[in-house]
Amino acid sequence: MTAPESGRRAGYAALLVLALAVIAPASGDAYFLNLLLLMLIFIIFASSWNLLALSGQGSLGHAAFFGIGAYASTLIAVKAGLPPLIALPLGGAAAAGVGILIGLTCVRLKEWFLAMVTFGFAIITQTLVVSVLAPVTGGWDGIASPRLVPAAISGSSLIEYYSILCIAALSILAIHALMNSRIGLAFAAIRENETEARASGVDPVRYRLLGFAASAFLAGIAGALEIYHFGYVTPDIFGIDISFLPVIYSIFGGLGTLAGPVIGTVILTIVSEGLLDFGLTFQRFIVIGLVLILVVIFLPRGLVSLPDEVRKRWKSRKKSEGALQEQAK
Amino acid sequence: MVQVDILLQIVFWGLYAGCIYLLLATGLNLIFGVMKIVNFAHGEFLMLGAYVTAAIFAVTGINPYAVILLTMLVIVSIGGVVERLCFRPILGTGKLNEIFLSIGLIYVFENVAALVWSDRWQSIQSPYSGISIPVGPVAIPIDYLIIMVLTTAILAGLYLFLERTQMGMAVRATSQNRRGAMLVGIDVERMDMLSFGIGSALAAAAGTLWVVSGQVFNPYMGSIPAIKAFAIIILGGLGSIPGAIIGGLLYGLAENATAFLIGGPWKDAVSFIVLIIVLIIRPRGLFGEAEE
Amino acid sequence: MDYRHYTMILGIVLLGAILAAGCTQGATQQAGTIKIGVMASLTGASSNLGNGMWDSAVVAANEVNAAGGVNVKEYGGRVNITLVPGDDQSTPAGGQTAATKLITENKVDALVGGYSSAVTNTYLPTVAQYKVPYVVTGASSPVITHRTDIDTSYIFHHCPTTDTYGKYTTEFIDQVIRPSIDAKFNLAAGRPLRLALIYQDSPFGQGVFSAVNNTIHAENLNVQIVGAQSFKMGESDFHTTLTAIKAANPDAIYVAAFTNEMVPMVTQARRDVGLNTIFLAVENNDAPAYYKGLGGYGNNSIMESRFSPYTVPTGSIADAVAAFKGPYTTEFGSPPDMMGASTYEGVHILAQAISNAGTVDKASVQQALVNLRMPQMIEAMQGGVISFSPDFHESQFNLYMEQLIWNPTAGEPRPVIVWPNNLKATGFVLPDWYTPGSG
Repeated sequence: MTAPESGRRAGYAALLVLALAVIAPASGDAYFLNLLLLMLIFIIFASSWNLLALSGQGSLGHAAFFGIGAYASTLIAVKAGLPPLIALPLGGAAAAGVGILIGLTCVRLKEWFLAMVTFGFAIITQTLVVSVLAPVTGGWDGIASPRLVPAAISGSSLIEYYSILCIAALSILAIHALMNSRIGLAFAAIRENETEARASGVDPVRYRLLGFAASAFLAGIAGALEIYHFGYVTPDIFGIDISFLPVIYSIFGGLGTLAGPVIGTVILTIVSEGLLDFGLTFQRFIVIGLVLILVVIFLPRGLVSLPDEVRKRWKSRKKSEGALQEQAK
Repeated sequence: MVQVDILLQIVFWGLYAGCIYLLLATGLNLIFGVMKIVNFAHGEFLMLGAYVTAAIFAVTGINPYAVILLTMLVIVSIGGVVERLCFRPILGTGKLNEIFLSIGLIYVFENVAALVWSDRWQSIQSPYSGISIPVGPVAIPIDYLIIMVLTTAILAGLYLFLERTQMGMAVRATSQNRRGAMLVGIDVERMDMLSFGIGSALAAAAGTLWVVSGQVFNPYMGSIPAIKAFAIIILGGLGSIPGAIIGGLLYGLAENATAFLIGGPWKDAVSFIVLIIVLIIRPRGLFGEAEE
Repeated sequence: MDYRHYTMILGIVLLGAILAAGCTQGATQQAGTIKIGVMASLTGASSNLGNGMWDSAVVAANEVNAAGGVNVKEYGGRVNITLVPGDDQSTPAGGQTAATKLITENKVDALVGGYSSAVTNTYLPTVAQYKVPYVVTGASSPVITHRTDIDTSYIFHHCPTTDTYGKYTTEFIDQVIRPSIDAKFNLAAGRPLRLALIYQDSPFGQGVFSAVNNTIHAENLNVQIVGAQSFKMGESDFHTTLTAIKAANPDAIYVAAFTNEMVPMVTQARRDVGLNTIFLAVENNDAPAYYKGLGGYGNNSIMESRFSPYTVPTGSIADAVAAFKGPYTTEFGSPPDMMGASTYEGVHILAQAISNAGTVDKASVQQALVNLRMPQMIEAMQGGVISFSPDFHESQFNLYMEQLIWNPTAGEPRPVIVWPNNLKATGFVLPDWYTPGSG
């Protein structure tokens, strides 16, 4: 990556953040702010899933980390009396801890075994939260959660929005740094061919666990932020629908890329809300499903690769046209 | 201690549940054996089978047990189409792609069914629902016995197909050695479509038996049984049909034992706990090979 | 090449902003009308109930408007009620988004509805923050108005909670079923009734389970819980659960389940497992699908209820119920259910409160709701009056117990009210085939 290129990238990224920062108060609409805020939270969540997928581990139970972060942050804030902002990374750490435990069971598994095991862990986590852990977690009734910014402070919703925007930006930056570091290279190596990676001195176990820890940490933060926003957490947070969303957003946008989960979340959220407004509830899931199928078959690198694919087709068509003209001469 | 007759009853219900699981798992193993693909949308064919049978029954009034063959035929065609359009293009691009594709299929099937038939719970009543055979302290409705007999019949049919017919042997050859099968001139792509179709039809048979026994069904019923079916074939042996049969029966028994000993809400969680423990000890699965 | 990614994100976000700005323009205030937001599950797992709630709200609003609307000083006279739907999609996030939209974009004056307790609890902080009067008509968890983390002064609960009907049913078991069994089988008067519980693993089921236990202890009832089994939501194979309960030899079984679980459970119990005993069901099952699904197996079973498609307590509300049910059934093709009934009343309650206050100012409407005393409408209320308890804003329903009796003409069982004494049509009877759990 050349210096001007990276400068340009940073410029565009800054523009994007500026745009998001300006749009919010410009519209003056609390509902829109709410949607943007939830979108940002899901961008963090989808990106966290994507990070894990970079190491070749496609989890189908990421709701477990989302929910653990939410419950842990809430419980820490409520029981220990800590401010929600402090409880936030602690909740993320709790999720990361569980992530390492789950990762330990998965280190030697083939990718689709891992998918099933993670799926199972989300179910097990929910069952535990409502049964054995019910005295602490409130069981099926759930528990109340503190707000990130107390409602008493004026302008609290804007402060909350900007805080989440900052956290989202920091998360993306962190993932970006991770992807471009040695760790990112190691992830790619074990994703491509684990045996060869081990032969080159990369310890798959260590990096797989690191992937789980980082991914679970971010997912936990996203979950905690959502629950702080709602003010109440229930065990529905461990649902299959929550687990599948980051998968769909990331694949649609571009699996393994930095922008993929962002684009996927933004577009699909807008499409989904739009269709809902028209009352097309089942149709909107059919559309999402079809889109996913089409992307996997025809555009496996996701929407971010669309410009490349188009240019490639254009170039190859030009080339073949050129060749034909050559022949015709 | 628990009385013996209570235990026997629980075993009976476990076997009934096992029949449905084993049909699902056998179909899955047939597909996996030939194509080596992961299709988490397998449970959608269970759901389709349930709805198609209920629909035919509602419209024509034909005995739902007789409808089962018709349902299976319908699903074979749908399965073939799905394979040709969706799975063949991505064959060989990696298991993760297959998983993602099947998630898309789940969304499509569930919501098309919800659109067509509404997402309410439905159930049908078997024409034999009033008939029971007294066995000891309980009267077993004849439906459950018919279900077990039918399951055995379907398995027998499958066995005859695979062992005694030309096509069946071609399917087995493809699953054992795809290269070799191609070399001897077997059209492996047709084998793919056939096995996918038959495997899906077996899932549909499971769905038919589900509704005939009076259980309620709705568009979302397929997703968790599908994942459980995968757990069964991992535990029973990938590609091994006897493993799927035994695994399915054991699974039904284990779930009911769990419900009895620990409690209903743990049914799903326990299946996965067992799977996870097995995979920790043997990451290749109980009967897996070292390299795929 | 990655700058393309960022340009795309930028473009999309800006596009989204423009679209959203356009949406904001669309939601202009309709001058001169009272806006009531209806939180209902129009899509998702609870959609058939949610649609019933919306339809019933529409019927109520039409009635108010046909009678001339409500006199409100902001608009200088009588104005109509406009309902705005808020689809919570049966998910917590969907509920929070819909509630925010209704409150901040549609700027509703009040809210009615709410079915799933988990979903409702999730967006309740938003409602409390904006101080919008909300009459909850579908969620059964008592937590809704017992919340300590938010100011619940604007939240009103107009449907019985699991505490209420759990307690009520337990009292019926103690006061009616137990003596019946003792009398018929010549058992000692001090013999405790052997009760088994089968409950859904959810706030609803757990709520009923706790309520039964608490009632037995608080009122020192001679009832013993001999077996308790829970099942996951959506379960339809209950053979093992029923076998386990059968082994405990209960006299009666109280089940907290939805209709799609209740029907297979009772059928499997009586037909497959040989568990022939008295089943007690919760009020949410009182709808045609239940009677149809149970068929003969439901004969002599009990259901706690407050609004039934097939019966009505004798007395003052009979005419009002008929006036509501008839046109509703004609227009929508099936009778209203009880969530619809309480939502219908909820809209009328809000209309009355706004009328009493004479303004849509939310604080005044809240005060009017606190002080509300209006005659009961289509559901029997204690004292014949709809009013909210001062502590937790819960209205007090006159629940009743029905026994299902086989009706040869209909080919299905039909409910008959057997308790309390001032509402009953006939007395509770133990069926001939019944035997108690033990001597």
